[in-house]
This record gives sequence, C-alpha cells and structure tokens, in this order.
Amino acid sequence: MRDMENAKRNTNVIVTIIISLIGLAVLFPFFWMLRSSFMSNIEIHKYPPLLLPTTWRLDNYPYALSVFPSLRYMVNTLTITLPSVVGVLLTSSLAAYAFARLDFPLKRLWFTIVIGSMLMPGAVTIIPIFVAWSFIGLSNGYTPLIVPAFLGGGAVNIFLCRQFLMTIPRDLDEAAIIDGAGHVRILFQILAPLIRPVLIAIGLFTFILYWNDLLGPLIYISRTEQNTISQALANFRSGFGTDWKSIMAASCMTITPPVVLFLIGQKYFIEGIVLSGLKA
Amino acid sequence: MKTRMTPQNTLTAYLFLAPALLGLFFLTIFPILGVVGISLTNWSGLEKPAFVGLGNFKQIFTVDFYFYRSVVATLYFAFGAVISGIIYSFAIALMLNQRIPARGFWRSVYFIPYIVPSIGTCIVWAWMYESNFGVLNYALHLLGINKIQWLQDPRYAMPSIIAMVVWGMGSMIVIFLAGLQNVPRSYLEAVEIDGGNAWHKFRHITIPLMTPVIFYNFLMSMISNLQIFVPAYALTHGEPSGKTLFMVFLIYREGFMQNSFGHASALSLIFFIFIAALTAIIFATSRRWMFYEGE
Repeated sequence: MRDMENAKRNTNVIVTIIISLIGLAVLFPFFWMLRSSFMSNIEIHKYPPLLLPTTWRLDNYPYALSVFPSLRYMVNTLTITLPSVVGVLLTSSLAAYAFARLDFPLKRLWFTIVIGSMLMPGAVTIIPIFVAWSFIGLSNGYTPLIVPAFLGGGAVNIFLCRQFLMTIPRDLDEAAIIDGAGHVRILFQILAPLIRPVLIAIGLFTFILYWNDLLGPLIYISRTEQNTISQALANFRSGFGTDWKSIMAASCMTITPPVVLFLIGQKYFIEGIVLSGLKA
Repeated sequence: MKTRMTPQNTLTAYLFLAPALLGLFFLTIFPILGVVGISLTNWSGLEKPAFVGLGNFKQIFTVDFYFYRSVVATLYFAFGAVISGIIYSFAIALMLNQRIPARGFWRSVYFIPYIVPSIGTCIVWAWMYESNFGVLNYALHLLGINKIQWLQDPRYAMPSIIAMVVWGMGSMIVIFLAGLQNVPRSYLEAVEIDGGNAWHKFRHITIPLMTPVIFYNFLMSMISNLQIFVPAYALTHGEPSGKTLFMVFLIYREGFMQNSFGHASALSLIFFIFIAALTAIIFATSRRWMFYEGE
C-alpha cells in the first residue's frame, strides 16, 4: 500500500512538471507579444532574438495610438457589442421561459427545430443575408451586426437558459401567479435573479464573440472610421506590414479587454463552458 | 397545479418565442432558400441577375480551379485541428485532474488563448513563424535543424495553422476536465480492488464514461472549424498554392471581393450539403462507439 502511495506521489510530481512546462509554452505567445511591443523595430529584428528589450520603450504605445486610434475602434466595437449582449440576454431568456414553463401547441416541434439550428453553419448564409440587408439599404453600417442578437440570441443560449430554468422548482412561479404576477414579471423579477450565473456566462460569451468577430465587420463595415477593433487590427497589419513594434502594441491593446474581462469573470466563464458542454 | 394549455398561455408563449422564431425564419430558413435561388443566377450584385440554371454548379465541378483545393484544404484542416485538439485537450485535462498544486491557475492559463481575438492570435503567431527572425526557427536552430518557411512552404503551412488553432482550444480542456470530475470515484476504486492498474481504469472506466463529452466536443468543434476563415484572410490568403484556401474564405472572396454572388451562393449551398452530410455521418457512427449510461 505504501509503495502505491509513493508511486502516486511521484506521478503527481511528474505531472506537475509537465503541466507547468506546457503551461509556460501556452503563455509564451502572450509574453512574446508584450515584450515585442516595448522594443524598437531594430531590436525586434535582432537574430538571435533578444529575450527582453534592452530598454523598455513605453513611448511605443503613445506612438501606436497616433497611427492606430484604438480607443475609437473600441468605442465602435462597443457600439455593436453592448446592444448585442442586451439583445441576446433578453430574447434568449424569453424563448427559454416559453420552452421551460409554458405549454402550447407545436412546442416539441419548435423546440427540436430551434435546437437543431445549433448545428447550422452560419457561414453558409452570409450572401443572402447581405443581399437582404442591401435590398433595404442597410448593408453598410452596424444594424446588420446588431439586429440578429435581438432575434433569439442563438440556439445554444436558449438551450442553456432553458436547462437552467428547468432546475428551478415551479412552486415559486405558482406562488407568484397566485399573487397575480404575469409571466413577464415571473421571468424578470423572480427567475432571472435565480439563474444569474448562467445569464452572466451568456453575457460574457456574447461580449467576447462580438468583440472578436472579424467576418461580420468585414462584410458590413467599409468606412475606416467605423471599423471594429479586430477589423482595424487586420487592416493595420496589412497597411503597416513592417512596423512590427506598433503592430504588436496594437495587438496588445486589442486583446486586453477580453483578457481583463476573463480575469474578472473567470468563475462564470468556466461555469458557462462546463454547462454548455455537459448539459448538451 | 401545472401551467395548462390555455389560449392565453399559448399567446404568451408565442409572444415570448416571437424573436427566436423570427430569427429562425429570417436568419436561417429564408436565407437557405435565398442561397438556392441566387445560386441559379449569374448575379454580380449590381446588374439584374439572369437565370443560368445549374451553370454555376457545372462550372464549379468541371472547370473551377479552386473548388477541389478548397474542399481538400477545409477537410484537412478541420479533421487535423479537431483530432489534434481533442488529443491535446484530453491529455491536458487528464493531467489537470490529478492532485497538483495551483490547479485552478493552470486551468485558467490553458483556457485564456480561447478568448483572444483570432486576428491577435494570427499576428503574434505570424511573428513567431517568421522565417528569418522568428523565435521558432531560432529554436530549431538551437536543435541543429534548418530553418522552415512555416507559412510559405506547402508542406508546413497547414500544420502550422493547425498548431495555432489548437493553442486556442482551451474551452475543450475545461469541458473535458469537468467531465472527468464527474467520473464516479467508486468505479475507479472498484477497478483498483480488482487489481487493475491506471491503464485499466483509463481504458475501461474513464474513456467509456467520457464518450458523450468527446462526442459533443468532436461535433461542435468540427462544425466551427469547418468554417475557419481568419487565418486564411489574415495570414496566407489561401496560399501556398491553394493549400489553405478554406471554403468560407473562398465564399467570401468570390462573393465580396469578386462580386460574383451567383457563384458564391452555389459554393455556399455545396458547403451546406457537405457539412450536413458530415454531421449526419458523425451522428450515425456515434452509435457504435458512444456509451450511454443506464443502457
């Protein structure tokens, strides 16, 4: 028995070492991006590569901001992202409530179709949806990127929210009905606080999804001053192909908001991922 | 007291569902019909479209230089990324499931690449892959290996992109880890009592109980990775010689850069059927290897 314990402890030591080494390798691209963003272009192009800058050039950032106005791009991105988060939370929880709490004709059918649409590859329909938007003269701007969030908020989110609602005892709703509350009030005042973790997770993931999206903005936003941050970064790289220090500084600024958001909302991110993976 | 099916409840339910149903029709069902319709025309988005029957499809299957390359590139990428991603994530999750210090910290470390915008990932990896000054070639040099043109060499471009994408699959690790924590200890202990070793536990308890999670990860990441776009757009433009000409990139290029909506819609429709068929095959074969508890 003692041998077995020892063997177990030894494997744990080995596992710790492997996990730490691979973990450092996983962090390496972040380190490399950050370190390059503080170098001069000459230092960046040194071979063999330098591990750290000889002097940390903090003024790379003000310079990068002058050629890559990231604050404006962030505001643009937020203009799309924030309403979309609201839309997704609102419409997915409404649909989830209907599926979890109400009985109505064709319920099973709709549920199957809505959930089945989870498997639908979105890239297939980019052309007709673009055509439809240009038909009503709205194909250049933020509208086509925001409106879909208000149309159901995605099958995965509806499903997640419904699964969560199913775990909450109906006694609460019934008491509220007796008190004369309507369904809107039951959902938003009584149930929403109880399913807060899943709502926060959905909100965070929607934020990241919209913040990181590139294909959508490429299709619908043509004016530079309206560009989202991912889009602007892609353009910046093709336009400033040799100024790597600024490209690296711009990249650091672009990835900071999602990373900070993750660090703040870690618990909900992990929970959300687990729920979507295990409940499905 | 159960919520009964009253006319009033039905009305409420349909009102609550209205946004989702509108989305279903306007963002999925009608657009699919639209793809079919536009694919039968030569529409450029500017002039009046003319009906060309199956002309676009005939062209794609007979003369289109890019189509087959694109199918090969997309399949190679999706299978390569999903299979290596599952192996990587499962291995990391198994290790993170041991009693090791700072487990939560490492879990976050492995997860973080998942939330980085793909354009950011592409840029920093492009810099590491750079053939003259890049750190990866320097690492090879230290090992006495010659420089590699990571993204320009037809042999290495795809594996390089796959490695980059797998780096960003942190969400799978989290799902696997949660799945592993749900494997009942009593089952594993039963194997120990019967004299089984770690491999027996892994092979006969962990793997079978994890098949539903593996299936979910496989299916979902297959569907999303078949739609890979950003690396082709930002790094390779489909090069070298069409090796990374992913389907969605080809559709985007034909539709929005060449303005041939007819051709791009025909490609979209083929792409749709292609993914649907693949999904059906995955579901059909899953019955053979998936283990359902309580069966």
